[in-house]
Amino acid sequence: MQRDLVSFPLSPAVRVKLVSAGFQSAEELLEAKPSELSKEVGISKEEALETLQIVRRKCLTNKPRNDSTSDTSCRKCTALDLLEQEHTQGFIVTFCSALDNILGGGVPLMKTTEICGAPGVGKTQLCMQLAVDVQIPECFGGVAGEAVFIDTEGSFMVERVVDLATACIQHLQLIAGTHMDEEHEKALEDFTLENILSHIYYFRCHDYTELLAQVYLLPDLLSDHSKVRLVIVDGIAFPFRHDLDDLSLRTRLLNGLAQQMISLANHHRLAQVGNIVQITKPERMHSTVSNHSQKHI
Amino acid sequence: MGVLRPGLCPGLTEEMVQLLRSRGIKTVVDLATADLEEVAQKCGLSYKALVALRRVLLAQFSAFPFNGADLYEELKISTAILSTGIGSLDKLLDAGLYTGEVTEIVGGPGSGKTQVCLCVAAHVAHSLQQNVLYIDSNGGLTASRLLQLLQARTQDEEEQAGALQRIQVAHAFDIFRMLDELQDLRGAVAQQVTGSSGTVKVVVVDSVTAVVSPLLGGQQREALFLVLSVLLVCCSSPGLALMMQLARELKTLARDLGIAVLVTNHMTRDRDSGRLKPALGRSWSFVPSTRVLLDSPEEAGTSGRSQRMACLTKSPRQPTGLQEAVDISTWGTSEQSSVLQGEQT
Repeated sequence: MQRDLVSFPLSPAVRVKLVSAGFQSAEELLEAKPSELSKEVGISKEEALETLQIVRRKCLTNKPRNDSTSDTSCRKCTALDLLEQEHTQGFIVTFCSALDNILGGGVPLMKTTEICGAPGVGKTQLCMQLAVDVQIPECFGGVAGEAVFIDTEGSFMVERVVDLATACIQHLQLIAGTHMDEEHEKALEDFTLENILSHIYYFRCHDYTELLAQVYLLPDLLSDHSKVRLVIVDGIAFPFRHDLDDLSLRTRLLNGLAQQMISLANHHRLAQVGNIVQITKPERMHSTVSNHSQKHI
Repeated sequence: MGVLRPGLCPGLTEEMVQLLRSRGIKTVVDLATADLEEVAQKCGLSYKALVALRRVLLAQFSAFPFNGADLYEELKISTAILSTGIGSLDKLLDAGLYTGEVTEIVGGPGSGKTQVCLCVAAHVAHSLQQNVLYIDSNGGLTASRLLQLLQARTQDEEEQAGALQRIQVAHAFDIFRMLDELQDLRGAVAQQVTGSSGTVKVVVVDSVTAVVSPLLGGQQREALFLVLSVLLVCCSSPGLALMMQLARELKTLARDLGIAVLVTNHMTRDRDSGRLKPALGRSWSFVPSTRVLLDSPEEAGTSGRSQRMACLTKSPRQPTGLQEAVDISTWGTSEQSSVLQGEQT
């Protein structure tokens, strides 16, 4: 099938050279060899090889193949598969039963949840609680995961997390006491204060460039720490409010950031929690910032 | 238009290609627009041969004109109207989604766009027994909700499972992935993959704005873009080109494969007037042939919370301004239908 070269993620320099050499669609590149291509178009052999790989990987699915694709970009499933997946995945409890009820069990995995509110209402507290709760062992109904905490406002207090963790341990000990199960006892042995704190990966971002860079680097971090089940961004709007005067750039960056995060949540099976402070400025600014987030609570 | 290669058409030899290329004629378009006398002199090829070559290439690459009557006959046979499963929405859409066309649902956050998409998918998969490709780009698809909708239609678990299997789900969070999925669909139909129990009749893209809006926008801050280009796919004009690629792909897919395409779009605030308008700008507004706006009504009482007002803002068949009240908690079961002739927006 003819597919324009514009629709491939090629670098602009290479694309310009390809177009000026007369190549418009992917089909024309299919039979070319890297050395021929690099001579004809005037790009280096490595670039030619890379270009052909990008174009061919997508075009290859058109030709009959008997092995499953190694590229995960064409990973399709039916709604039935998705349903089975959803039934087996857990929730991150918040230890507030009313909140868990509205959320349908807790903060869901593979989705993005947004918490907004006026300053001082308890958003960071909830985030810190979730960072502890994600680590609850599976036999107690948790997801036994780790957490990444990206802080843009500097409101993360380790002493408070110690309090929350201690309370959580005590709560679980009470539950284990009623069950008298060996499994519960064993799980509790690992659930110590040091372990809880060491499984919260904390990053401090001072402006929006750092935040964007941090989110960009997340996939590598997540592949190194595959047990991470929760990514918290505390104050997602905060760096964008102060430094950026260009509203359209801000919207674009926020939209790109949102998509990046949704994609991460989906691929790595984690929950994303973002905090937004409610803006008390004129309505127009409020809608521009919260416009990007088409998420669910 | 193709690059000139030996064997592209009879009479085009390797040496001809090399001679033409040395004079800067690399593609069919170049040859078609060149002054053949000049080319014949410079390249040393015969004028007659070049004229014959051009005629053959043009015949090979041009589109053939279609008789209007034939086109109408073909459309009458091939177009199907797929009910959405929501009575009031069907009224707005003139009986349902038309294959061969792109229909758009626009609305602000929480207005019910994803719910419409899920309802359409459930209805088409269950009642019409056709396959659906659901391309999710903002994480709004939950299979549990699909199951809920199906459970409202049938209690038979086998039927529910069968319907769920007819809905193919693809996650595409950026535009290249989405274009890949659409290309895969073409490939699968071309090969008539026998894995699925039928061909795809509806493609739902929820939402288009999520993948396109990071690409569109201003030309300022080029330096910043160079730094963040890994995230943002460079500056705006390739962004617009990509959006139009997607538009073209959706429309030709609908037309070529006889598919109904349903897309969702967000709302954005107009910078000057402050009013809400559909996102993606004027260029995108020409893409869908039908556009339905979902709006939450002003009162927020307990009954009003699930009420939505659907308004037809663009249609090739119905007068615009038609409005229907829809209750998104009870899609397709007991909706009120009050047809109001509102003013044109």
